[in-house]
Amino acid sequence: MGLQQELPSDVVNTPIRERVTDLDHAGGDTGAMQVFASLRDGNVVLDGPVGCHVMPAVAVINYTDSVPYLQNVTCSELSENEVTIAGTLGVLKEKVARADVPGRQVFIVSTPMSELIGAAWTTTDEDVKGSPLFFNAKSLDDDEWVARDRALLFLWQHRDHFVAPPDAAPAARPAGPSVNIIGPTYGCFNSYSDLAELKRLLAGIGAPINAIYPWEAHSYDTARLSDATATIVMYKEFGKSLAREVGLPTFDAPFGLEDTTAFLRGIAKALGLEAQAEAFIAREKKTTLAAWQDIWRSTHSDFFANSPIAIVAPPSYKDGLERYLGGELGLPISYSAYRTGPESAPSEAVRDALANASPSPMMIFGSINERMIVAQEKLPSRFYQASFPGAVVRRATGTPFMGYAGAVWLLQTVCEVLFDTLFANLPTSYAPPHRATVATADILRDAPAVTTDSGKGQNSVLTWTDEAKALAEKTVKRVPFFVRVSVTKKLRAEAEKLARERGTDVDRSVVEEITARYAPGR
Amino acid sequence: MSRQASSMCPAFGAIRNLLRMEDAMPIVISSGDGCMYGHTFVAHFYVANRPIFSPGVSSQMWAKGSVFDELKAMAIEMAEKHQPSIIPICSLCVSDTVGLPFELLPKQVGNTEIVYVPLPAYSVHTHARAKDIVVDSLVWRLPSQRKARSGVNLLGEVFPSDPIKIDEVLRRIGTHVNTTVPGPRWADYVAMVDGAVNAPLHPFYSESVKRMKMKQGLPFLEGAPVGIDGTYAWIKGIGETLKLNAAVVEAVACEERDKVKAAMADYPLKGLTFMVAGYEGHEFLLVRLLIEAGASVPYLSTAVNTNPLAREEEAWLRERGCTVLYGANFDDEIGALQDHAYDCVIGTTPLCSHAKELGIPSIYYTNAMATRSLMFAEGASDILSLMISTYRSKERYHKIASFFSETGTPVQSHSSWTPKIDLTEHLIANDAFAPAAGE
Repeated sequence: MGLQQELPSDVVNTPIRERVTDLDHAGGDTGAMQVFASLRDGNVVLDGPVGCHVMPAVAVINYTDSVPYLQNVTCSELSENEVTIAGTLGVLKEKVARADVPGRQVFIVSTPMSELIGAAWTTTDEDVKGSPLFFNAKSLDDDEWVARDRALLFLWQHRDHFVAPPDAAPAARPAGPSVNIIGPTYGCFNSYSDLAELKRLLAGIGAPINAIYPWEAHSYDTARLSDATATIVMYKEFGKSLAREVGLPTFDAPFGLEDTTAFLRGIAKALGLEAQAEAFIAREKKTTLAAWQDIWRSTHSDFFANSPIAIVAPPSYKDGLERYLGGELGLPISYSAYRTGPESAPSEAVRDALANASPSPMMIFGSINERMIVAQEKLPSRFYQASFPGAVVRRATGTPFMGYAGAVWLLQTVCEVLFDTLFANLPTSYAPPHRATVATADILRDAPAVTTDSGKGQNSVLTWTDEAKALAEKTVKRVPFFVRVSVTKKLRAEAEKLARERGTDVDRSVVEEITARYAPGR
Repeated sequence: MSRQASSMCPAFGAIRNLLRMEDAMPIVISSGDGCMYGHTFVAHFYVANRPIFSPGVSSQMWAKGSVFDELKAMAIEMAEKHQPSIIPICSLCVSDTVGLPFELLPKQVGNTEIVYVPLPAYSVHTHARAKDIVVDSLVWRLPSQRKARSGVNLLGEVFPSDPIKIDEVLRRIGTHVNTTVPGPRWADYVAMVDGAVNAPLHPFYSESVKRMKMKQGLPFLEGAPVGIDGTYAWIKGIGETLKLNAAVVEAVACEERDKVKAAMADYPLKGLTFMVAGYEGHEFLLVRLLIEAGASVPYLSTAVNTNPLAREEEAWLRERGCTVLYGANFDDEIGALQDHAYDCVIGTTPLCSHAKELGIPSIYYTNAMATRSLMFAEGASDILSLMISTYRSKERYHKIASFFSETGTPVQSHSSWTPKIDLTEHLIANDAFAPAAGE
């Protein structure tokens, strides 16, 4: 079994560049751990120093999945002695022995440190069914997505190794045609909601679920994957190699109305549920999607064509959002980039593109990295999280991006951000009314007083120098179209107020001061 | 059985403090994407909105030796372009094991100091040790002799107003605060050589203060002005070390002690049992306050390892029925939860999540404690009022715990498997009941 050749993964690594900053993906050890730990009977022993365990399985997981810590993950806790003299096998055996309890399948996962010192798990009982398995995560080189894909392949390759405990309840096997969902694991952005939506769609057309893998499966359910009729691969980033090996028709998870409708019809055809699917789609239009139609018919959508957005995310979300928000809703995509895989954009390229976009996107979908760019470059854009890394709580299942419900949720979200932007740019802020310090007669008397360079009076329309006009125009072009009126009004009022105080025309220095205060750009 | 302290990657203790330096640009030589991802994730969550740089690393790059070339080019380029005061080079597990020729890095580029900070997490073990390494690495760069020395160097991440309060008290006895590290500027570290005494307020920084004693000739004083006895002893200690006017010192020490005593009387904790588990060293001081306020604290569980600077503190705690469990880990802490009926738990994330499951009011140590002062009377009132309000919310914790336990045992997260351990066995194995080991 151990000599079996590894099945090839179709996932390609994110290139490792000469310099790294603002990373958007984890490494192989983390990816593999997240797959094996997602199995209901998986116990993971990471072969590495304590930080390689606590960082991903306690510190980070608490802010991606809101789980205080993964209770089924431990670590060999390498120290100087193991690294320099003893090797890891001794301490690893101790940990594996404790994790290897009835009803649990142990997975030993390598880390950069154990890979560096060439450690591997070698025991004589590797052919004994249910015994601990060693997975080389190749974490010195592979990113989390390759590792996730390889880990799923590894499970498939070892499907006959896994044994159900004698007291295990037999799996509920659907009688007729059914589907698998491959992909839900720890550390996938918004997966709780997206999975709930996929389940809702499948229930809607009456498609039975054979396995939700690995999230709602035991290791010994792996072999059952081939009992299904079709497979849904939830993410483009990983899982497709396993689907290839299982060998059934596959479907990508859908974003937006068109995708979702095609998805439902495709699954229905594969399972022979065409009539149910059509009935469900019709029903959805009157229920879930009634909200969508109402928002779409409202004035809300009038702003879309002038509200550019940017999307920086891994492929599933980047492509899905682009198709739906750009293609179906008509929001101009001013910039989009992958942050993972062979076509991933380097972080400096993302920063340059976002900082120099004109107009600045109204909304930037991304990770904490893009959120930092918005803050550091003082962009007027609103940030909305659509990817990891970045601490977020996404456990309520009502925030899907996928499916019909996702289309409604995203439409609602975009509108909320529009309203929020509008409020932030209202021309007049609350302040107590100005006190009347002079009587009307005084205003009339002082009005002709010459105060400005161009010889105009206190209340005359002020002259704007060409430089000032050019700068103001440039500034206004950077803000989203639909708040330009407000911004222009605010800029004019503030600039003229300052010019009057100074007794000058509105010149470049006045506009510079105001733009620095109100519409910060570069 | 777990043998090591449970701690977020120990190196992070150092990276965190370096990222908080405004005029430093740390380079972190990661051990791979998983390592880098973890460090940047937590750093961007609660340390700093700023990038962290690493040379790219892969098995090929290590084999070719190109990591060091890139590192050197990067450090020089960053120094020339941004001119920070210091570029700390944080070397994590893999780079420190591979053994890059750090001695070939320039020591200065222009005014920028380039300083190697060794942080192989597998031998650093704890956050506390990593913080000690940072101070030690940075200060080691400084000259050995200064003629005019005065004031107290504070070592420890304290509440921002603490140094001001300490300074106010020190001025009354004829000295002052010279500098506080970890600080936001390189100059805060440089200033250490002008101080007359080092005061590690948290019981680690042992290497730094020992080496500064050796190289810079600076004496050091243990303890912190926390609690009734602690406040008195610390002020007296400073007076004695700096040979200040004994009568004045005695008067100020008594006055501050009485203020703490008066503040504590407002928050009696008598009859309550607390469990405390921390990883910052700070937890020794918290337990001191709890005990003086009347609480029973059977264990202090700390990720910090045995350390000469903690010896007196530990003796004080032991006399009052508190066992210090050094290098503690999750398993120990969760096990210890079964041993007593606790009224309140202050601890690590996993411990608190278990305590909440059981309906015990709990707060996460770092989030709740690191944002508060412990020192003098104000610190005592602040912390103790938080304890009282946490304890008083017990009803809410009970309600929720009972709601979730209606279906039987508390529902645990997605895949649940908790190792079974026997704390007593572990305590004996770790000589927890034996006197502290020699230095």
